[in-house]
Amino acid sequence: MKKILQYIKIIKLGDTFVIVTFMGLIFWSVSQSWNMPSGQYLKIENNQEDSKVFSLNQTVNKQVIGFLGSSEISIAEGKVRFVKSPCTKKYCIHHGWINKINQTIVCLPNQITISIVGDSESYDTVNY
Amino acid sequence: MRFHKLLLIVILFLVSCSQKAPIYEHKDFIFGTIVDIKIYGETEEKSENISNLIFNDFKRLHNYLHPWEKSLISSMNNAIAAGSVFNVDDEEIIRIIQDNKNLASKSENYFNPAIGKLIALWGFHQELPNQMVPKAHQINELLANVTTMDDLKINQSTLSSANRNFQLDLGGYAKGYALDRAKKILANNGVANALVNIGGNIIAIGMHGDRSWIVGIQHPRKPSAIASIQLPPGWSIGTSGDYQRYFMDHDKRYSHLINPRTGFPADNSQSATIMIPPANNSGALSDAYSKPLFIAPEIEKLQLADKLGIDFFMVVLANGDILISSKMNESIQWLEQNNEKNITVH
Amino acid sequence: MTQSIIKPTKKDHTIAKLAAIAIVLSVIEFFLPSPIPGIKPGIANIIILYTLVRFDFSTAAWVSLVRVFVSSIIVGSFLSPTFFLSLFGAIVSLVLLYAVQKLPKPYFSIVSLSLIASFGHIVGQFIIARLWIIPHDSIFNLLPLFLISALIFGLFSAFVCNILLKHKLKKHTF
Repeated sequence: MKKILQYIKIIKLGDTFVIVTFMGLIFWSVSQSWNMPSGQYLKIENNQEDSKVFSLNQTVNKQVIGFLGSSEISIAEGKVRFVKSPCTKKYCIHHGWINKINQTIVCLPNQITISIVGDSESYDTVNY
Repeated sequence: MRFHKLLLIVILFLVSCSQKAPIYEHKDFIFGTIVDIKIYGETEEKSENISNLIFNDFKRLHNYLHPWEKSLISSMNNAIAAGSVFNVDDEEIIRIIQDNKNLASKSENYFNPAIGKLIALWGFHQELPNQMVPKAHQINELLANVTTMDDLKINQSTLSSANRNFQLDLGGYAKGYALDRAKKILANNGVANALVNIGGNIIAIGMHGDRSWIVGIQHPRKPSAIASIQLPPGWSIGTSGDYQRYFMDHDKRYSHLINPRTGFPADNSQSATIMIPPANNSGALSDAYSKPLFIAPEIEKLQLADKLGIDFFMVVLANGDILISSKMNESIQWLEQNNEKNITVH
Repeated sequence: MTQSIIKPTKKDHTIAKLAAIAIVLSVIEFFLPSPIPGIKPGIANIIILYTLVRFDFSTAAWVSLVRVFVSSIIVGSFLSPTFFLSLFGAIVSLVLLYAVQKLPKPYFSIVSLSLIASFGHIVGQFIIARLWIIPHDSIFNLLPLFLISALIFGLFSAFVCNILLKHKLKKHTF
């Protein structure tokens, strides 16, 4: 008991800071893993045609034609973002990456929506 | 005021719930495989009744077309083997046979439903295959005078064949034909949106709400889908693969897809998938025409696809490389990383 | 020039002694059952910490790396994935320790050193595991569990090391 008390005494201001940071990291990692699962598929909707679903399990850039012109989205192993857009404010690009189910980026000016969907929506039946 | 808002939210919530378009799914085990019917946007009662109509028709077809169990076809095969003439007082079977003659001749007999005897020799006329490669002389005997649909003569309501080795096996046709039957039953009962899957052969009726039905395509060597594709209204999709019915002998795979020209199971492909646009017999086509693309040698596959008018096809070759038509390539969504695959677009 | 080229210095002796203790602790820990696979108290870290405070960084680095190599040879995991996990964990841990030991002493005690060392082990092992063993992000679901255990065992190691340091300082051994 005495030794534990002695031990607590050696904890200094900087140590407290390290311990608090460590606990913060734990909380962050717990909240991250609770937010799982990440989605497996990307759904792209534009003003022209039916929505299309792509696998997120690839690294590729895709051109999507919208109202103003062609936007470019980048799929990178489980996440997706806008990289080019003909819109003026570029909110869609500043939004950055999305990877969790139901996360969505809407580019209103160019009328393109990209959203993450889970496995369940990827197909209705299997051909074998 | 606040209460009113709450009420409004509750009502909106209930409305949105009740408008959620329902899908009813019915599964049964027929044709030695799983039959899965999804009906979109009908009441549960109606969808169940119609599913039962379809299942009952499939059971009828099973007892009618089964290649080796007791069926009309088996009786005909027995009669032909005995050298006698078989009387059928049945328009449907005559139509089916005519259709098979037609498909076989167009596919240069790569689709050949007349080689039941060869398939039985390889042990695929039983639930569990023999696991034994037949002796060369047995195969050669059948190859020497290989049976084709041309051997079967139709004379009004009598069937006969001069070649007593003739054995009709509709294993590569019956499921597709059943799809076309299902389509008719759904249409007759006013179902506009449904998806029917018979052991992997699929037909799309209408849509899944505001989008097309989406079908996953099985990876021939993994327990997952290799890709998915939208199946537009009325389209059918069929796959021939060496991973469903096969046996291994000395590390070599022998599948039930026998090349009528060599007498051996075709071994240049792992799977062949085709999509057929709406037609009266699109289901049957999607079943039958996947065989030529699976069986034919690699160099002949493309010509054959052109000749048969198949614009949408994908073949996974024996080494895992993929041969895909440009139209299929445009609509397909790969579900796994492609960097290890070698894809040739035709 | 008559001397042999490799003459053990006093420092070498120190390293050898401390590494021997660390190795024994590692091997004991290897045979102790763990409640959750992959999670270990890392009691050998007590020795590394002790060495760092009592001697210097380079001695601690030597002890740490000798420990990783020799203990893996003893338990038969040399060059196996376990070995690389442990090696990379040790390396990241040392790199962080090198930075942290330069922090002002009045504000940062052995507690910080210990926590950051155990954090380094987790980070290093996760990097290797993500890149090589389970190349999928799902592995990060394990992170909370490992971080919590790193916090607990980090505090524990600092506690034990603190006692050791006091003890040894009185007796002037090592």
